[in-house]
Amino acid sequence: MAINRRQFIKRSAGAVSVSLVMPRFWMSNVARGQEAAADPNRRIFVMIQLAGGNDGLNTVVPFQDSRYLSLRPTLGFKDTDLKDETGASTILGSNPFGLNPAMGELKSLYDSNRVAIVLGVGYQNPNLSHFFSMDIWQTANTSGAGNGWLGRYADQKLVGQSGLSAVSIGSALPKTFYADKVVIPNITPANGTDPFVNYAYQTDARNAGDKNNQINAFKSTNTRSFPTDSFIAAIAKAGFDAEEGAAQLRAAVGNYTPGATYPTNNQPSATAVQFASALKMVAQIITTIPDANLFYVQLGGFDHHSQEIGTNTDNFTDKTKGQHAVLLKAFSLGVKTFYDDLTAHGLADNVVMMTWSEFGRRPNENASHGTDHGTASPLFIVGNPVHGGLYGQQPPLSDLDSAGNIKFKVDFRQTYATVLDKWLSADSQSILGAKYDDLGFL
Amino acid sequence: MASLSYDEAAHLLRRAGFGGTPEEIDDLSSRGREGAVDFLINVGSIDNSAMDALLAASFDFSNPGDNSKFNNGEIRRWWFTRQVATKRHFEEKMTLFWHNHFATSSSKVQDIFMYNQNLLLRQFSLDRFDNLLLKVAQDAAMLIWLDNITNVLGMPNENFGRELQELFTMGINDVVTGDQNYTEQDVKEVARAFTGWDYVRRSPFAFQLKTAQHDNGTKTIYGQQANFSGEDVITLISARPATARFLTWKLFNFFVYPVSTSAADKATIEKFSKVYLNNNHSIKELVRAIFTSDEFFSDRAFFSLVKQPAEFVVGAVRMLGGTYNPGSTITSPARTSNTLSTSSRNMGQDLFAPPDVSGWDFNLGWVNTASMLERFNYANAYATNRTTTAPGVFVTTDQLRSLTKGSSKKTVKKFLARLGPLSAPDAIATLRTYLETGDNGQPVTFVNDDATIDKKIRGLVHQIMCLPEFQLN
Repeated sequence: MAINRRQFIKRSAGAVSVSLVMPRFWMSNVARGQEAAADPNRRIFVMIQLAGGNDGLNTVVPFQDSRYLSLRPTLGFKDTDLKDETGASTILGSNPFGLNPAMGELKSLYDSNRVAIVLGVGYQNPNLSHFFSMDIWQTANTSGAGNGWLGRYADQKLVGQSGLSAVSIGSALPKTFYADKVVIPNITPANGTDPFVNYAYQTDARNAGDKNNQINAFKSTNTRSFPTDSFIAAIAKAGFDAEEGAAQLRAAVGNYTPGATYPTNNQPSATAVQFASALKMVAQIITTIPDANLFYVQLGGFDHHSQEIGTNTDNFTDKTKGQHAVLLKAFSLGVKTFYDDLTAHGLADNVVMMTWSEFGRRPNENASHGTDHGTASPLFIVGNPVHGGLYGQQPPLSDLDSAGNIKFKVDFRQTYATVLDKWLSADSQSILGAKYDDLGFL
Repeated sequence: MASLSYDEAAHLLRRAGFGGTPEEIDDLSSRGREGAVDFLINVGSIDNSAMDALLAASFDFSNPGDNSKFNNGEIRRWWFTRQVATKRHFEEKMTLFWHNHFATSSSKVQDIFMYNQNLLLRQFSLDRFDNLLLKVAQDAAMLIWLDNITNVLGMPNENFGRELQELFTMGINDVVTGDQNYTEQDVKEVARAFTGWDYVRRSPFAFQLKTAQHDNGTKTIYGQQANFSGEDVITLISARPATARFLTWKLFNFFVYPVSTSAADKATIEKFSKVYLNNNHSIKELVRAIFTSDEFFSDRAFFSLVKQPAEFVVGAVRMLGGTYNPGSTITSPARTSNTLSTSSRNMGQDLFAPPDVSGWDFNLGWVNTASMLERFNYANAYATNRTTTAPGVFVTTDQLRSLTKGSSKKTVKKFLARLGPLSAPDAIATLRTYLETGDNGQPVTFVNDDATIDKKIRGLVHQIMCLPEFQLN
């Protein structure tokens, strides 16, 4: 009953594929018993996705614009609202903007010039579909097709590097990391004290003596040759890299000692603990894997069509509480804790973080204490190498498009180009397909 | 009537179900192509009393307010128990298709509504599409999930109106012609048509139209002007050729093979979309046409999809003759096993919680290093679980003994045949070497005694489930 008919399908456009035939070089000299030595030349980039479409107008609040409050009668923040939970102002100096009151930690980083905020980031002919717009951002291509922009960078710069030079922390590999020549690992955090605990190739616990035989059989069957650009080749490659990388990773990350206190016990929220834990995993890898270079973490749930502010007890009116505040607090606290941890490890000069979200939200609130899909929004770049301050231009609320959305002022690919050219020492033009102006924040 | 070979019947059962035993495959094969498909899709005429008895002994959903017996974990355990134990393979698979299509998540929607939606999808899965869509749109889960309960006259909430068009019916662009199917203005106008759609806040949570919140004004939708109601919009969209094409395209991608943008593939989609349009939008007739087609049984279709995690965890049990003992909340003390739902979730498919309203990302979307390790480790846990008296997933030594042959070669081939059947000729030597290697790496002679079965045959099952071939469907 053997099958004599089988054909593997060429990948469809946009799917991840791996055409690298040889197994990658696997690190043999991971530091064991100590963290990686400090190296001023290390350049590490952490991409933070705010998934669902972050409400930019309630994140970086244009509180002096009278149109803002008239479009946001229940959701809008007045100048007097712009204070964090300690009572400190979140207004950005003499600028007509204030951070959401949930973002006190980020405000402190801003005050020490560690945060650049690029206003009005988007693209021409905005697509209001989550999925299409995410594809556009992730591929840096307005058709949404092709590999990820950081995948293309990895194909240029990370071939031959260790299998842990780029890592995604989350439930699935993001399209941003789809590449042709390298397998970028994705690690799903486990609940409990060791988030890496599931990231191991297990064999029969009762027959430890058979473990090597099992692993030898696995390596042999997963390094056979398969048709290039087929699902089965990508599967074998990912499987082999998973087994090899897991052993390396677990040997390394055990050497990490946190240099900051990460949130625990669902305080201030379960989401905040999850997000900070993902960044802590990044810190574990950065501090122990010498060629760690690219990371990707996600904070989801920004699609606030309803109940963006408030809770049941305040009948959804308290702007300092509610779903958006919980998420922005998680973001702000997570980034600050991670930054402090890096500082304690002497690595704060080596790491740049940048956020993105597929779109902002409609200036005019809806009747559900929420906002519908919008267009441009601000994004954040954080780290010691960053030239802090405001960049770009706030799209005026007096000039909305036919759907009632703001018009973008900065092409999102300018932010990518700035990171690629000024931080990752790459050639942005070959990766993005065109030359985009440097925004100057690095 | 077209004949149906063993390999074809196995392919049909892997796709329309979760794979099965040689007895099930032989039975399908004996029915011929049309007969086998007719048998599978007429789910109501298949006796399912054994599963019903298992469910009755394992779950108590009589009071959804009792959180100890009805909760997030229990509805998942319930669905996986169905998938492993059902004789109505296609009922569960088609429900999974619609769950992905109308992707709704317990991250926002209460468990009782998720459960009710699942029953609804199961009940209407092969009905007229218009009717299924209307039922789903008027059900509490969807009304909550896409915020239609706050979509009101004067301040419409566009969430449902947008995804209805983008994800549930037509897609942004026609999958055949490439034409734009609707405009941003259509999104706004469709949203107005659904204003006031709500549900009664007490069991059975029936649909209600809040007339005071419904916009009775004239709407312009796809160039037509009228006082469209939500029902009108569903009727209008369900009849559009773009919807027929989009549904056909999704069914093909889920059940047949990844559809390309080639002219030939577009012609295929167009051809099957006519079945929908010519049969009063019958989902049943559309899937019958697809499953009996030459495209479905083409070389291109075999093993052309990456197994979904649910197919991986359930299929391993069904194909090998393993056991999933779900445990029970009725016994005292309650002892249950959530191993299937937990493993599937860790591989990327948390049933009742798709990542977002677009559903799961299939094929290589399932493939990353973490999800692969989860597959390998589930395989190990399943193959080496010797605790056959407690809830969990396992394969007994007796079952393994019945499949083990006198030589390593015949044994490897037997297990490859059961777990697919898989063709992996260039892996056979490695798997034989594994069977014939001792703890110190020394060559040993393969014998089919119980000690070898408990060690090496369990290891063999683990290794076959780690083959790249086993990850495909």
